Amino acid sequence: MGNVLNILFCLSLLYLATTTRVTGYLKVFVLQSILLFFIVMLPLLSHFSVFTLLLPLTILIVKAILIPGYIRKKIIYELEIKTTIESNIQQFNFLLLTVFTMVAVFVFSNLISKDAAVDPVPFAAAFSSVVTGLYVIIFRKKLIVHVIGFLVMENGIFLLGIAVASEMPFLIELGMLLDIFVVVFLMGIAINKISSTLAADEVSVLDKLKN
Amino acid sequence: MLVLFYILILPLLAGGLFFIPGNKKLKYQMSLLVSVIHLAASYMIFTGFAQPVVSQWFRIDAFSKLFLLILSHVYFWVVLNSWHFINQPDLYSPEKSRKIFFSMMNLYLFANTLALISNHLGLYWVALESTTLTVAPLIYYYRNKESLEAMWKYLFLISVGIAFAFIGILFLALSAHGTDIFEKGLFLSDLIEGSSRLNMVWLKAGFIFIFAGLSTKAGIAPMHPGEVDALSNSPSPVAALVSASLSGTALIGIFRLMQITAGTPVHQFAQVLMITGGVVSLLVALVFMFRVTNYKRMIAYSSVEHIGLIVLGAGIGGAALIGSMLHMIYNSLNKTAMFLMAGNVHRRYKSRESGDVRGVLKNMKWTGILFMTAFLAVIAMPPFGLFFSELMIFRGLVEQERFILLGVVLFVLLFIFIGMSRQTFAILYGKSERESEGIEEVNEKFNITHFTALALLVLLAAAGLFMPDTVTGVINQIAGELNR
Repeated sequence: MGNVLNILFCLSLLYLATTTRVTGYLKVFVLQSILLFFIVMLPLLSHFSVFTLLLPLTILIVKAILIPGYIRKKIIYELEIKTTIESNIQQFNFLLLTVFTMVAVFVFSNLISKDAAVDPVPFAAAFSSVVTGLYVIIFRKKLIVHVIGFLVMENGIFLLGIAVASEMPFLIELGMLLDIFVVVFLMGIAINKISSTLAADEVSVLDKLKN
Repeated sequence: MLVLFYILILPLLAGGLFFIPGNKKLKYQMSLLVSVIHLAASYMIFTGFAQPVVSQWFRIDAFSKLFLLILSHVYFWVVLNSWHFINQPDLYSPEKSRKIFFSMMNLYLFANTLALISNHLGLYWVALESTTLTVAPLIYYYRNKESLEAMWKYLFLISVGIAFAFIGILFLALSAHGTDIFEKGLFLSDLIEGSSRLNMVWLKAGFIFIFAGLSTKAGIAPMHPGEVDALSNSPSPVAALVSASLSGTALIGIFRLMQITAGTPVHQFAQVLMITGGVVSLLVALVFMFRVTNYKRMIAYSSVEHIGLIVLGAGIGGAALIGSMLHMIYNSLNKTAMFLMAGNVHRRYKSRESGDVRGVLKNMKWTGILFMTAFLAVIAMPPFGLFFSELMIFRGLVEQERFILLGVVLFVLLFIFIGMSRQTFAILYGKSERESEGIEEVNEKFNITHFTALALLVLLAAAGLFMPDTVTGVINQIAGELNR
């Protein structure tokens, strides 16, 4: 079951590579966050208690409700951001790059799993997410898409945390979620200001600071 | 335990309370009080007078002692200057920024302190990310296009960088898989003690990711752009904080990793990586010192240069490591003075472009003299401390017979000196073309910024000549930790 969820996580990245709509990006992030919730929940089912529910529920609330809600309401609708993403490379090439990376990551994970205590599927899914998030930041132009790319990357790191089976103490996980929420909140404010003072929402307008 | 309350809980409480609208003067006075208490507590911890009862979550070793003292010290001087700063009549000081200024400052102090004394890399990560979040609104203080862009870049680049550092922390966790360190909860003290039982391949991978990730925040080239943009576009007191104390909070993460690798086969690899980072930083500073036309950006690249020297010295080890720790202290004193003086110049000339600024020595007597003195200190003129610390780093290079590296470093430093002095002397001397445009010739009054710069520079010279035994004792402890 765990592997199925992880594969679904990977498939969401392929959708990310093909969609050209900003809302599509947001939907992928929400889907990933819900998958993360189930992935965290799964091992807890055997020794179920109210306390163990705290972390998965916080993930669900912060990543699947609060952050997407904030982005949708305060950035996409309020700033009337155009729904299509702008890209530096062709859509097909982006997909090709993502698929190749994913294959390479899976092969690599399989190789290292022989020597180390790593579960190859979640490890590969997590790393694919980190790299795809990075590609989104590099190859897409819209600032809001960069934020979502960053969040996809963070989701990958979260999954990696679960994959290496090192449960961080609950308070630290909570601190991380709070940090990520505040980062997105501040980035949202910045995008708001950028679009009101520079009348644009793309990274190309940020060229004032040069050497 | 009470000491922990003073250095940790007090700034947090103050930061939270100051969000409530109220008298700004009172907030300033309270913040100053918090900073004095923090400084006193840090000093007591440093000298060993106070030994906090530490839970397993906190670690107060030689590293935390030194970096905590640096943080407290820089923070105190910056807070002391903050009332003067936010009330400058000729400074565009938006009310919204003034409202949150003291809250953010106190939260900044809290987050930094937490990062410096944490005994868990996960906790360190959370605290380090919080420092980014508290400093970002301060970078945006002027609320203009440049500061907005600087804030966005700082927030984004550093968040991505720190995310990579977290992958490194997870790799470190993987390296401890199957050992009792993992079972105990991956505390730093366990990782340092049991480093020989870690999986070396994962430890190496962890070091690469953490080093690259934290480089964005420490300002080590080639990951420096976010830091440079922030330093050159934030208000001077904030730039002083970021350059003189926040880089240290990022560096301590790298040094913690060095503590773990010390005594393992990975240590040599870590040293090579540190030396490479140091040399690349020096080279980048060299190239940009001749290209920048903005004097605050020039100081920002000087910051990259000095962080490069610190990392280089730490990578070499031995005498160079001791020099590098001394350099850390001296650089924090110098950069605070330098950024404060650059801030005075900016306020008077309303421009950060070096081309717009001429005759500072004539138009702003005190600022001019102190800027010149800080410049002499930054290029490591005796009797200022940086001269002695650089000498120690060079001694370390000679002791290890790394003559080619020494040659490269000396060559680069010489040309950085030429590049920097070209621009500095142009703004200090020379006739202002803009004199007719309203830069009136009034005698500059001696104010708190001048007092601060003077005090810091006197301290810098005095510390170079008469370093107290307590400081050398702590630095020797650090050297012992890394030369295991």
